[in-house]
Amino acid sequence: MTKTILTIDDSASIRQMVAMTLTAAGLDVIEAGNGAEGYDKATTNTVHAILTDLNMPVLNGIEFIRKYRQHPSSKGIPIILLTTESDEELKRQAKEAGATGWIVKPFKQDQLLAIIKKVTGA
Amino acid sequence: MSQAQEHQPESMTALTIRLDDELFAVEAGRVREILDLVPVTEVPNAPDFVGGLINVRGRVVPLADLRVMFGMNRPEPDEDTRIVVMEVDMDGEPTIAGILADKVHDVTVIEAASIEEAPKVGMRWRPEFIKGIGKRNGGFIIIPNMERIFETPGARTAPVTASEERPAS
Amino acid sequence: MNISDPTETFRQEARELLEQLEAGLLDLEQDPSNGDLINSAFRALHTIKGSGAMFGFTAVAEFVHEFETAFDQVRKGQSHANAALIEVALDAKDHIHLLIETPEAQVDGGEAILANLRSVIAGGAPSKAVSAAKTPETAASTDPSPVPVVKSTWRLEFYLPSDALIYGTNPILLLEELAQIGPTSVTALTDRVPELKALDPEVPYIGWRVDIEAEDPTAAIDDVFLFLRDNMELSLTRLDTPPASQASAAPAQTTTAAPTEPEPVPAPKAAAPSASASSPSPKPKAPAGADSADRAGASSLRVPAERLDELMDRVGELVIAQARLSQIAGLSSDTALKTIAEELERLSSGLRDTTMGIRMVPIGTLFSRFRRLVHDLSGELGKPIEFITTGEETELDKTMIERLADPLVHLIRNAVDHGLESAEKRAAAGKPAKGVVRLSAVYSGAEVSISVTDDGAGLDTARIRAKAEENGLITPETKLTDQELHHLIFAPGFSTAKEVTSLSGRGVGMDVVKRTIDGLRGTIDVISRPGEGSTMTLRLPLTLAIIDGMLVRVGNGRYTIPLAAVEECVELPEGIEAHAKGRNFLDIRGALVPYLRLREVFGTTAEPEPHQKVVIVSSGEGRVGLVVDQIIGNNQTVIKQLSKLHSGIKSFSGATILGDGTVALILDTAHLVAAGQSYVDRNITGRAA
Repeated sequence: MTKTILTIDDSASIRQMVAMTLTAAGLDVIEAGNGAEGYDKATTNTVHAILTDLNMPVLNGIEFIRKYRQHPSSKGIPIILLTTESDEELKRQAKEAGATGWIVKPFKQDQLLAIIKKVTGA
Repeated sequence: MSQAQEHQPESMTALTIRLDDELFAVEAGRVREILDLVPVTEVPNAPDFVGGLINVRGRVVPLADLRVMFGMNRPEPDEDTRIVVMEVDMDGEPTIAGILADKVHDVTVIEAASIEEAPKVGMRWRPEFIKGIGKRNGGFIIIPNMERIFETPGARTAPVTASEERPAS
Repeated sequence: MNISDPTETFRQEARELLEQLEAGLLDLEQDPSNGDLINSAFRALHTIKGSGAMFGFTAVAEFVHEFETAFDQVRKGQSHANAALIEVALDAKDHIHLLIETPEAQVDGGEAILANLRSVIAGGAPSKAVSAAKTPETAASTDPSPVPVVKSTWRLEFYLPSDALIYGTNPILLLEELAQIGPTSVTALTDRVPELKALDPEVPYIGWRVDIEAEDPTAAIDDVFLFLRDNMELSLTRLDTPPASQASAAPAQTTTAAPTEPEPVPAPKAAAPSASASSPSPKPKAPAGADSADRAGASSLRVPAERLDELMDRVGELVIAQARLSQIAGLSSDTALKTIAEELERLSSGLRDTTMGIRMVPIGTLFSRFRRLVHDLSGELGKPIEFITTGEETELDKTMIERLADPLVHLIRNAVDHGLESAEKRAAAGKPAKGVVRLSAVYSGAEVSISVTDDGAGLDTARIRAKAEENGLITPETKLTDQELHHLIFAPGFSTAKEVTSLSGRGVGMDVVKRTIDGLRGTIDVISRPGEGSTMTLRLPLTLAIIDGMLVRVGNGRYTIPLAAVEECVELPEGIEAHAKGRNFLDIRGALVPYLRLREVFGTTAEPEPHQKVVIVSSGEGRVGLVVDQIIGNNQTVIKQLSKLHSGIKSFSGATILGDGTVALILDTAHLVAAGQSYVDRNITGRAA
């Protein structure tokens, strides 16, 4: 079964790049432009992993993760946070909120693929 | 009356058409199509030279009557009348226009050697409108200077009628 | 189809972000302690830096980094967004723009701006602006065992944190990853699995023992557990090592594998994300900036402009074909044909409206550009200015908006440079110190009106007169009304500016403005009162390529009048001339409306219809009645441009192709209204017939 990845980022160019990278690798991609939209899409679609940016309007990455983890469908779904900061405190907060892992920006496409493979096996 | 030629005109692949009783040649390469006479919409207050508009495949194209520019007689259209739709350079920009022709003849090559410059005096027409005069079968073919003809201010702006006047613009 | 290049998308995005940033900075200048504005400026810089690095714009990322840090400090209250910071930030924005548009070119000036920034910040915490060093991959691992040359067997035992499963970790995947390192043999450790009653299926009670054959898997294992190291239990021992290390015996050993990645030097940023609920620039003045962040979330699509043009052409052709069908159906008695023709007309009309809508863009996108202009002008000229905009949501065709940019810039420059007086003069005249420049857009009938108003000194008619006489435009005896004198400023080469300032006064401005507006088939009006100020009003047709038209007959010719301009139709009263004594006026419910006999205007010779009709059209404030032989009906009109040969004829704004395939000219209502008006000015002093 093709796995579906949700990418949440307020930057259209990042979303585009992620989408291109993942679809080239045989995955399906859904996009959202902010945490609130991400929540809607995550809870109404079947997703196998979520890639979310941190700094976004409306609902930021960590708030999204917190909210989403309260929804039953979020169980077992890996969430990867995109962050430009390798701040330990931030990572701790993210994990506490329910993130599975993170990727540090800027990242290369193969790094992205590696992480997605890691958490979804796809 | 031939004159010493400063620059040799090039030979031309021409579509020959008849206007009144004279033969004219236009660049065949610029001709898009040749139509039978179609309904012409008159443009009020336009100069006689370009008094009408026609529909060419959904495009609105001005209809030009070269006979006006050459001060010729303008016989009524008959079954030989055609409209030559061609590309004309207006102020350097290519534009599509229709040229009224009393009859369309053929496409022929007019050799450079047989083209002479228009004499500066003693001619019926204004020499600046003529690029050259070619010879064929003992007759003359007039090669009009299309850029000049379509550039003349009178060809483009409309006379202002009394009821349309505006204060100094 | 998503074939476009993400780099190009990034560029577009960056442009929007920069616009947003500029608008935010300008707002921030007025309101320096506004937390939302500061945050949005920070976020914009942050995103540009991050995305810039992603797409290879390293120069941009490096340049932006210091600014990001600076704004982060402001965000945290460690420094203030003073005017100097905003100025240098605006300069930075320009520089970033250059870097993004021409990344190959060597763009200088960056260092100067950064030096400026540093001196502005000096006094506050020195920004440890080391370049954004990428975080290298995980380095040090925990296991201190020396690296053998030979492969040995390593024993890994681990237990996952209790929330691991819920939070998306899949132990199977971990085991598979481990298997990539080398041959493994896996045993499940079930010592922690509780009784069924107490078992929570979402908690990973099972631990794992994995024996791996590898040279030194420590780094690889770190990688596998990259995300879990901090709160899992993990122990790794080398089995072939002499039994000294019995560490593997006790499963409950916790080895926190937490390698410290070398931190980049810049001060660690506050982990708490900025108040995210704030949308940038809450003020209505810069709606374009405020919306772009939300726009990124809202579903939108980028389409090359040419495709829209193609679409429009197709729709236009469809409308023409449909009109022909309607005509044929009208003459036919076939009901099925008639029904379908009607349906098709309805559908094509709807399609037309939708397509038109796509090309319409709010003029606010243009207005927000001018804020920066006014801000800069205000600084350069030393005149404090209040810039007010209204009607930002007024929509215009996209191409029109682009062509309006230059003329409007010019009018605004004029208003600021020549219109507004210096602060002292204003004080002397009892005016508030801040000059007001107002930019507004509003629909009116088939047109849109855009005005630039200033409350300055107004046009100096004496100077205009003098200059006009000097240039030979008029003779000293020529009598002109103030209105006519005002219009002289549009004559080529005309300029009353005493010196040529760097902004205007070159004498090439106003006539170019007029020509551009003429080219858009619009008009420009001037209203000015000495001491009070001036208003320049541009009136432009909503040049929609397809409009609703009213078809009329004058003599043997048929003409189309844009329906949006039509107010009403009346019959021309019998014998009206006899009563009016040569003054062509109609009494429409008490108001006097001038009328034009189009038969006269067009020089028609055909027999007139005994009962002439009058179509009352309006343009701006004026109205005129157009007398025609017959009103035929309404139709959808696809506007075709006239060639240069005819575009100079002022009565017509274009042509169209009717259902029967013939060409009909479209009347230029603005021109005709003006003609009617000038007739009034010329002949009438306002007395009723």
